[in-house]
Amino acid sequence: MSAREYLGEFEHMVLLAVLRLGDQAYGVTVRREIEARTRREVSIGAIYATLDRLEAKTLVQSRVGDPTPERGGRSKRFFRVTAPGVSAVKHTHRALRSLTEGLALLGVSS
Amino acid sequence: MTQQPSPAQPPRLAAWLVDLFASREQAESILGDLSEEFSDLASRSGIANARRWYRLQSAKTIAHLAGAAFHATPPSLAVALFLGFLLSWFSGALPAQLIIALLRTQRPYSSRHYEAYVWLLAYGIPIVSITQSLLIGCVVALLARGREMVAAIALSLLRAAPLAWLLFIFFGRTPLARPVIPFLGPFLFSRALDLIGIVVGGVIVRKARSASASRLAAV
Repeated sequence: MSAREYLGEFEHMVLLAVLRLGDQAYGVTVRREIEARTRREVSIGAIYATLDRLEAKTLVQSRVGDPTPERGGRSKRFFRVTAPGVSAVKHTHRALRSLTEGLALLGVSS
Repeated sequence: MTQQPSPAQPPRLAAWLVDLFASREQAESILGDLSEEFSDLASRSGIANARRWYRLQSAKTIAHLAGAAFHATPPSLAVALFLGFLLSWFSGALPAQLIIALLRTQRPYSSRHYEAYVWLLAYGIPIVSITQSLLIGCVVALLARGREMVAAIALSLLRAAPLAWLLFIFFGRTPLARPVIPFLGPFLFSRALDLIGIVVGGVIVRKARSASASRLAAV
């Protein structure tokens, strides 16, 4: 895997949120998942800009759902992580674990 | 029989602006997500809060969409900006030349003629200049398919930058030049209208493309 394929911090968060949500991963749920778990305020635009970039890198795939009335008759766009996406998450985790190894200062036990 | 209250609607202008900056596929899902969160927030903490949240989210979303379009820097965007800049640079003197050529063919024989002559002299150049900017905005937006608004706004800023820089250098460093500012008013106003004309050209092309795509999808 080349250095270019390592995930950025926010890409990493978005991919993990999509993995956690499974079949229910779309803009609103991804945003809420990230906010609830990281207490970091994120915008819908940031989520979509990242998801579009990840889709261009074939790390996620999207499909369009049915339109619903509470969305003003607009459809949801569901995302799922692809095999290369899972692989990118694993590589990034491995790299982060390797970098944090032995850093007792941070309270990291690895 | 009691009438059901109509559900709260998100701010139209904010939704319209998001629609301008997003691609058709993005607009469908982003506006849907914003509407869903708006309805949820309106029922939990009131319409005023929900509207405020919607406006803020829309502004952030537009910033992200514009940033992503620049970050991706597709060749079409770079080509559109380059051609647009060349076009506006080389056709800069065209409105004045056109109006002067037109005035030379006319002679103010009567008082009615004279009034028309003076009107053309006063307003002809700004009108042709705004129309020219509008057309340049349309051309740039046509070339930057899918990124019409980003291209039009970027060209507008590119054209504004040298003038803003000159004004900053001139008036920032020589306080004595400040009394001249009011005399620059009409010139700066016409420049501002030109820049707005380019952005409006982008809006026209974006909306026309969006409408045509919707018609095709409906068929």
